[in-house]
Amino acid sequence: MSSKTDRPILHSAAWRISLWATLAFACGTMLVFIFLHRFVASDIQRRSDAWLSGEVEVLGDVAERTPKDALYDRVVGEVAELAAKEVPNRDPSASTANDSVFFLQTGADGSRALWVGAGNGEPNLRAIQATRIVPDHPSDLNVQGVAIPFRVASTRIDDGSYIYLGLSERDELRVLRNLRARFILLWLLLVLLGFGIVFYATHRMLSHVREITEAASRIGHTDLSARVPTMTRRDEVGNLALTLNHMLDRIEISMHQLHTITDSLAHDLRSPLTAIRGKLEMSLSSGTEDVHSEQVVSVIEELDRLTDFLNKSLDVAEAKADALRLTRSEIDLEELLRIMIDLYEPSMSEKGLQSSLQSNGPLKVEADAALLHRMIANLFDNELKHLHTNCKVNLLLKEEGAGVSLTLEDDGPGFDPEVLPHLFERRIKGRESTGHGLGLAFVDAVARAHGGAVAASNRKQGGARLVVTLPLKAIKAEK
Amino acid sequence: MRLLLVEDEIDIQSFLRISLEESGYQVEAAADGKTAERLAMEGPFDILIVDLGLPDQDGINLILKLRRLGVSAPVLILSARRSVDDRVRGLEQGGDDYLTKPFALAELLARLRNLLKRNSPPASEATRLHVLDLELDLLRREATRSGQVLQLTQQEFVLLEYLCRNAGRVVTRSMILDKVWGMRIQPDTNVVDVHIYRLRGKVDGPGQKPLIRTLRGVGYVLKDR
Repeated sequence: MSSKTDRPILHSAAWRISLWATLAFACGTMLVFIFLHRFVASDIQRRSDAWLSGEVEVLGDVAERTPKDALYDRVVGEVAELAAKEVPNRDPSASTANDSVFFLQTGADGSRALWVGAGNGEPNLRAIQATRIVPDHPSDLNVQGVAIPFRVASTRIDDGSYIYLGLSERDELRVLRNLRARFILLWLLLVLLGFGIVFYATHRMLSHVREITEAASRIGHTDLSARVPTMTRRDEVGNLALTLNHMLDRIEISMHQLHTITDSLAHDLRSPLTAIRGKLEMSLSSGTEDVHSEQVVSVIEELDRLTDFLNKSLDVAEAKADALRLTRSEIDLEELLRIMIDLYEPSMSEKGLQSSLQSNGPLKVEADAALLHRMIANLFDNELKHLHTNCKVNLLLKEEGAGVSLTLEDDGPGFDPEVLPHLFERRIKGRESTGHGLGLAFVDAVARAHGGAVAASNRKQGGARLVVTLPLKAIKAEK
Repeated sequence: MRLLLVEDEIDIQSFLRISLEESGYQVEAAADGKTAERLAMEGPFDILIVDLGLPDQDGINLILKLRRLGVSAPVLILSARRSVDDRVRGLEQGGDDYLTKPFALAELLARLRNLLKRNSPPASEATRLHVLDLELDLLRREATRSGQVLQLTQQEFVLLEYLCRNAGRVVTRSMILDKVWGMRIQPDTNVVDVHIYRLRGKVDGPGQKPLIRTLRGVGYVLKDR
């Protein structure tokens, strides 16, 4: 995994995918558990109900057959206590004091006849009287003062009295609580583990994609020889890398051809220009001051303009194809601007123009010095050519995030609104312009080659504004 | 001064040979790398001019081969290519120089002079420059003409110093931009001319003999005679 990405992990796709996958997994397992829980709970209740119904029947039987003498209470009471010891789901570690079961016999008038259980049975009796308990159907009973409800089964015996057998649901609830606690613990572990696995897997896979993206974004701004990293596995991501590399091979070949064409074009034009210029210069130095020398001089000047035009055309052509070759070094933009202002100041004041620079001290960028010099010279030439007397040019240099912005503002006539949308295209120039129409196209080309941009607009209060932005650091290809 | 000129374009070779010989160089010319190697081995040269686009081999390879064979004379590289090769930059750092075609003869000659100067033992650096009645005190950054102090800006002084160091020789606009402002640019406007015009206004006062002369289409010269 690349250490270069400082992107917060919370914004990564791997994080989102793992989150959703885990959520789905957690919800699914939770639903399954709820279903299981209900099944277990109803099963436990069914079993305790069966026990209750059986016991209450036995007790009813015993109560019916036992003669109502002095021993009645003891006999029935002992049978009831015996029954209480066989409570289902009983916690074996619980104290012997038996408060999970009660036995109650009421007389035909509803008064308490016999009570076996914790306490005196008054609250239980009141609760039973308040709740209508249907014989032979166990139902819930909430007794005042006892938190956990009882499950009560009843039967009517022939003498008109009722027998109630109550079983606290405590043990049943404890079993379910244990089940839930264990499940939640396991569930949390599983969810965490699942999240971990999904996150690891997706992060690994997506980190390949990220590496490819990073490598691809570097290519083109630096050189085309770099390739995205490939991996041995031939899955979708591996194929993506291979396809990208094939595409880059083709682009590199076309780019190389473009360079070959521009280079040979430059060579084929420059060699005769050199010969012509040299011969003209020789005729100038050998001959004495005659009438022809004036013409020769102007031909030389034309030749120089032609050469300059050739250079700029080829630069702009290459830059438009994002194929400008850069040799970067560290340049202090502020110092460069001061030198440029110094160079252009006499020409500007000659024309009645004023210039000023606002900046916050040295500002270093990694850029191609020769191209940057020419770019800024172009901006100044542009101002010099298009402004009328008494105009002001204001330069503002400032750092903006990971980049630098250079703003040129003047209070001159501004850009021709018709030309403005096409300002950075080749051969576009204002009606009164005398240049080749390459100046601003070149500025745009250089800025783009460095990964920056140029924006032009007309100011509200009149005049033109050009904003050149450049990144502080070059995007460097990793070794 | 013996000079080896390696250039395959016959037109360029012939005018360079004539101009260089006029400037006092003893010129041997070669049109390809093989001949150049043979000539370089035959006799020692003080300086070499090598074009990068030779028919039989790359100019850089030729220079590197000659260096391996023990030729230590400085080289002025001529290039019609658009981009400056990294290896050219390497050579430039090693003390050689390069010039893109087309060039002004004056610039070629100036660069040759610089290369030769660099290669000869450094003369004790003068702190004063004299050209006719013009005098520059390099320590105090002060220029005087006929004893009168000239009110020059810092930049004007540097420009005048450059002209004085090349007194009697032509300097081109691009040489001035390169040496005084440190940039290789070709402005669309006459920025250098305006600087020279201002400087001339201060150096050549009324009634004085004009020292700074414009050679149209070529550049400027500070007269030393």
